[in-house]
Amino acid sequence: MKSLGSWKLLMLVALASGPTTVLAQEPGPATPEATSRQAVIEQAQTEKDSLLQPYILSKGERFANRAEDIILNGLTWHPFFENAYQGGGFPFGLGYRRYVSPHNQIDVRGSYTLSGYKRAEAEFVAPHLFNRRGVLSLLGGWREATEVGFYGIGPDSLKSDRTSYAFQQPYAQANLTLRPTRNHWLMQGGTEWTEWQENPGHGSFPSVDTMFTAETLPGLNADVTYIHSQAGMGFDWRPSAGYARRGGYYGVTVHDYTDTSSDFGFNQIDYEAIQHFPILRESWAITLRGRVQTAFHKGDQQIPFFMLPSLGGGSTLRGFSSWRFRDRNSLLMQAEWRVMANRFFDTAFFYDTGKVTARTSDLDFTGLQHDYGVGFRFHSVDATILRVDVARSHEGTRLVFAASRVF
Amino acid sequence: MSRPSFRSRAGRKRACNLVLVAAALGLWGRAVATQSPRFYPDDPIAREPESRDAGRAARYEIESLYEMTHNLFVTAGYTPSGTRARNLNTIDEVPDSSWFTNRIGSRRITTGEIARGPVAGDPPDPSQWVLLGKKTAGVHPGFRARDARGETWFIQLDPSTNPEGATAAVTIATKFFWALGYNQVESFLTTFDPKRASIDPKATVRRPSGAETPFTWDDLHAILERTARNQDGTYRIVAGRAISGQVIGNFRFAGTRPDDPNDLVPHEHRRELRALRVFGAWTNLTDLKEGNTLDTIVTENGRRVLKHYLQDVGSTFGMCNDVHEWDLSYEYFYQANTTRRRFFSLGFALSPWQTIRYAKYASIGKFEGDRFDPRAWRPQTPTTAYMEMRDDDAFWAARRIATLSDELIRAAVHTGEFSDPAAEQYLGDVLIKRRDTIARTYLTAINPIVDPRLDAIGGLTFGNAAFDAGVATGAPTYRAAWMRFDNATGETTPLAETQGTTTAVDAPRNLPTATGTFIAVDLSADIASYPTWRRPIRTWFRQSGEGWTLVGLQRLPETMLPEPASRRAAR
Repeated sequence: MKSLGSWKLLMLVALASGPTTVLAQEPGPATPEATSRQAVIEQAQTEKDSLLQPYILSKGERFANRAEDIILNGLTWHPFFENAYQGGGFPFGLGYRRYVSPHNQIDVRGSYTLSGYKRAEAEFVAPHLFNRRGVLSLLGGWREATEVGFYGIGPDSLKSDRTSYAFQQPYAQANLTLRPTRNHWLMQGGTEWTEWQENPGHGSFPSVDTMFTAETLPGLNADVTYIHSQAGMGFDWRPSAGYARRGGYYGVTVHDYTDTSSDFGFNQIDYEAIQHFPILRESWAITLRGRVQTAFHKGDQQIPFFMLPSLGGGSTLRGFSSWRFRDRNSLLMQAEWRVMANRFFDTAFFYDTGKVTARTSDLDFTGLQHDYGVGFRFHSVDATILRVDVARSHEGTRLVFAASRVF
Repeated sequence: MSRPSFRSRAGRKRACNLVLVAAALGLWGRAVATQSPRFYPDDPIAREPESRDAGRAARYEIESLYEMTHNLFVTAGYTPSGTRARNLNTIDEVPDSSWFTNRIGSRRITTGEIARGPVAGDPPDPSQWVLLGKKTAGVHPGFRARDARGETWFIQLDPSTNPEGATAAVTIATKFFWALGYNQVESFLTTFDPKRASIDPKATVRRPSGAETPFTWDDLHAILERTARNQDGTYRIVAGRAISGQVIGNFRFAGTRPDDPNDLVPHEHRRELRALRVFGAWTNLTDLKEGNTLDTIVTENGRRVLKHYLQDVGSTFGMCNDVHEWDLSYEYFYQANTTRRRFFSLGFALSPWQTIRYAKYASIGKFEGDRFDPRAWRPQTPTTAYMEMRDDDAFWAARRIATLSDELIRAAVHTGEFSDPAAEQYLGDVLIKRRDTIARTYLTAINPIVDPRLDAIGGLTFGNAAFDAGVATGAPTYRAAWMRFDNATGETTPLAETQGTTTAVDAPRNLPTATGTFIAVDLSADIASYPTWRRPIRTWFRQSGEGWTLVGLQRLPETMLPEPASRRAAR
């Protein structure tokens, strides 16, 4: 590019005053000799011809282009916000993702929380199996939780009875999700090898072993190795599981937990129904969720306390602490009134209710625990990116941060 | 909008150069205007000259994220300059150029012509398609393919939710935008039969990993699964002919191309780009963005010049909303004021689109004419040219739309080949309603006197665009203030004032008669129901010896005060 000569600067100063006018009606300073409109314009084109240069991207444009590239192709290094176990606090985590074929990738990641929850794992994901009908996940890792809450078994446990326990757990699992028609029908199955090493809890609450014994609390101080198999089927007609304002999901999942030492084997069935009712062109949505979990021990085996269905925490009874209620059966009902503020941001007013019971026949609408609150959600077309819920129950007010949908 | 950064040394230097170019064009010309005549002998020009070779123009493509964020968070807060469009000839018209060709409104367009639109060559031969790869641009699914004659086409299909919708929108919209003067891709409705298709061995597709690997049948199936299929297993497609010349990416709606010597007028000040706000509102072209434009280098008269296309106009007629309920034509992709309103009212403060009952034709999207307000229309993101549109630009655009008769509109809509006659009828009805609303809005907003003619014996006749379009009634008093005009100095000397109650007003008897003399006439219309019509338009006539020739027309002042930001935000 040519440098700017002093005569040009002088010309600039001389001319850079006065109102703007129209090209075709004010021929301008450089063309006193021009005798036609055509000549005026051609002279200006000749002048510009000596100043040509390519587009130069601004810093902002370069930054946005890089960000778009990352969004489209994914980060190699990426933040990882999944906790080792619910209730561990805000996690700091990092992952490294790499494609090993055009579609399949391996992700190695880990997270840590201030309360000492740790997680390290590697996952292989093949999302295009069976002509895009299946997604295979192979996951292996290890995690540690240091102060998981335990308040006793049953619906009448007291907040003041909180104890805590810790565990370490290596795990390896394979899960296959199938959409046979590539549409609404959903089938999934998987198997997992996992070893629960239950330990005394840390932190400010008494450890669970100071209040209970192995006789009074099944699974206390036990090391249990499970072969966990599961199979599920569902009908999912939401636009996306990660974010939806219409459609629904109805599904059931059956679990078999086989203890290799035949002490703590059990089965569990999860029933779940989600329905979104859009109102006023989806500017509002009434969203309902119901979930029932029932666990059955195998023969004379017992269900360890840390494997019992539970309620409480950021995606169930949000006004209660994580793992607040535990028993063999749980009933959860949630309702949200979601208000769309714009294409990326919703607010929600919610109400959660539910209970745990020892017997399936007690799963009724009496003795339910309740909470209510307000939430703020940033989302994309198909995923919830950040969820902040403020929930209140008779046990206090709780703040929930999550990087996923509530349901 | 995309602007060069002026922070770097190169950027500052570039800014200075741009200023100099602008100065050379007379954009700061008052100090020296007296040295040049207002009108040259060849005024008004009918075509913008392109005198220099533009072969050095380099490829530039704007990325979606940058364009969207910049437009939403920078351009949306842009204060319009209020200046008149700068690519006009002296009679307030847009001359033909590599951007624009005067068609409807400048000459008679037949139903046959509009049904043909930009089509110049033969349609594709769909008896055998060879797939070349995935389509990467546009809102609708598709791919690139070679037809049985070996010509390359860009194929678009209908999403399964809107059979016939996307293909009809592309087909019809290209006809309208061609008629309105824009360079358009030749598009044909035809069919794709997977059983008669093959894959070019060299065809590749970019995978999530970033790798380019061979395009497979499964890739094709992945596209077809999301699209509407005919009962016989074929697919209705619209095939767009590959544009001739060397494609070098997109043009911007602001600034000029720094690598094109012929590109002198900042694009936000090109009237045909500002007018897309009106044409876009009429057709609901919500995906109005730079990413949907194309520049190509073509050779004309032995010289390489750039030709500018509106490449993808398929987001029209409500066909561009995502999986969630929304109507893009009422709000930008993100808008702070509506967000606040909905947030604090808990959604009780409704936007108009939330209560509109749209017709239930799968082949037509969210598109209606009863509650349409062109001033409230919004594309997904605003462009600088969109922000700069003034009432005289809108008037110019509205006149062109108003010229589209019912027959022309229905002829273009018919090319969409809807299987449901009711859908075709509905789309035509809506376009006619929206045309009338646009005419009512913009042709009455400012003085609508058009086409002034001064005959040799001193009779001044003109038209009233609002009356001609049937969107205003009344009996105004037309006033004419006559002046002698000195073309060298720009000075005027009052001669007389005359008036009349028809669109013919007598001239005073003391008009100059010498060949080459000029007069200026201010024309206004006095009618209580339209007070803005009292602002005169100024016209200039030159005595040619055989009579008076119109050489100048200005509908609004050079600069209008920009509308306050608070008022803009409220709209």
